[in-house]
Amino acid sequence: MEGQDVTKVVLLACGSFNPITNMHLRMFELARDHLEDTGQYRVVKGIISPVGDGYKKKGLIEACHRLAMVRLATEDSDWITVDAWETLQPEWVETAKVVRHHFDEIFTVEENIDDVDTVKYPKKRRIEENNFEGSSVYKRRDATQLMLLCGADVLESFGIPNLWKQEDIDEIVGRYGLVCITRSGNDPHKFIHQSDTLWKYRKNIHVVPEWVTNEISATQVRRALRRGRSVRYLLPDRVVHYIQENGLYSAESEQKNADVVLAPFQRYTGASSS
Amino acid sequence: MATRRVPLVLLACGSFNPITNQHMRLFELARDHMHSTGQYQVVGGIVSPVSDGYGKQGLVPAQHRIAMAKLALQSSNWVRVDEWESQQADWTETVVTMRYHYGRILKEHKWSTADDFNGNTNPFLSPRPQLKLLCGADFLDTFKIPGLWLYDHVEEVVGRFGLICVSRGGLQPEHTVHESDTLSRHGQNIFLVREWVRNETSATEVRRALRQGQSVKYLIPDCVIDYIHQHNLYTVDSEKKNEGMVLRPLVKQAQQPVKSLDD
Repeated sequence: MEGQDVTKVVLLACGSFNPITNMHLRMFELARDHLEDTGQYRVVKGIISPVGDGYKKKGLIEACHRLAMVRLATEDSDWITVDAWETLQPEWVETAKVVRHHFDEIFTVEENIDDVDTVKYPKKRRIEENNFEGSSVYKRRDATQLMLLCGADVLESFGIPNLWKQEDIDEIVGRYGLVCITRSGNDPHKFIHQSDTLWKYRKNIHVVPEWVTNEISATQVRRALRRGRSVRYLLPDRVVHYIQENGLYSAESEQKNADVVLAPFQRYTGASSS
Repeated sequence: MATRRVPLVLLACGSFNPITNQHMRLFELARDHMHSTGQYQVVGGIVSPVSDGYGKQGLVPAQHRIAMAKLALQSSNWVRVDEWESQQADWTETVVTMRYHYGRILKEHKWSTADDFNGNTNPFLSPRPQLKLLCGADFLDTFKIPGLWLYDHVEEVVGRFGLICVSRGGLQPEHTVHESDTLSRHGQNIFLVREWVRNETSATEVRRALRQGQSVKYLIPDCVIDYIHQHNLYTVDSEKKNEGMVLRPLVKQAQQPVKSLDD
């Protein structure tokens, strides 16, 4: 039987998934093992949320294909799922909004199940406070917690000017929490130490060491595909077949968005100069 | 007319305890590389798990290692498992395993072993097939371990057959070849393949994770994971197998004079 103080966790991974690789899937497995090992958490679900086409990243192929590939890749997992909400938005959505959306989804489900729930959670809430530590609603013992799953590179991207809004970082790390898989060569602890925001919410950041070097980057996979090299055993077989059948990832597809500014840069640099 | 490519079979020897996705990646990388030379046509790949007599710590019975490799390679249309080495009563020198497979391959391609030794080239036949040993970067270093390899065997493996070594970036394999007179003499027969994706799943790490109840999904195929669980294969007890034993090659080769090659 499970102890009272075990918190249910949903892990959410945002990214291009262009295409999804075994490494993305490994991150979920590593994160679940790590969190459950602490004895404090039980991971009940993993959600993969591919970014929308509006992100404008170079070589980003259509969301319908990226979704289809994630769906194929997660077919034989009994806990990792794909969610299309983010890709269905007309424009690029900030990660904080995606996290908020999924939190609302979980909350709505739980609210329907549990009528005894006395904590009323406003549907349209405005976040004005910068300190999320006291917001008990997110930390109720029986409530499911949502955490953003990412690689160390995402944590470090918090330091890139204009890529993230400060309040979004505060919200993601302060309110929800982060599970960060470290790759060799990265020292997330040092990075956390150097950032006042991350240091403040360091208890919400779970650093998971990767015990097997596994640096299958989607960029390298696309390069291999363009050059007609084998990518077998780096991606699930079903994904490899899908790519072949649909003739995805060519020299042409890599030129998509070649001269376009990434959506977050467009939005934030535009906002600050106006 | 384009010169005809040399039919090439890749042979990987090892424990395969258990087989991992990384083992299968080695084959894919090696095939791509050999094709890109324009000289070879890879016609097959062989996974040859070592026999139980090897005496390595934590080595589970060959019957299981074979079954797992077969499951893992079900989806490959060019790499297969061969049981010959694992069925030998004692540990078999890699060169002996290579001789066995080469003899078999020549027969398949209607060549006789004599042609090989005489260096006959019959223009009406397709090029003589070749067999090369496929290995990971750490393998080259085993040549340096005293007593693990007989000098003549290294000479034959590298000189007569050839080596395809997949490295993880860095110049270590080049150094190893450079530092060894034998290896550098046969430099043209050693193919160093760069792995552009760092993917270092070791079977040792996989066994450790399995003992500790951690997930190994996406490191080894699902069908292999199921098999491991069904047979309760990698436990604290199984890891103690052969503990404290001397590796069979070290014993066997210490008994025989280094010069004898009549096997």
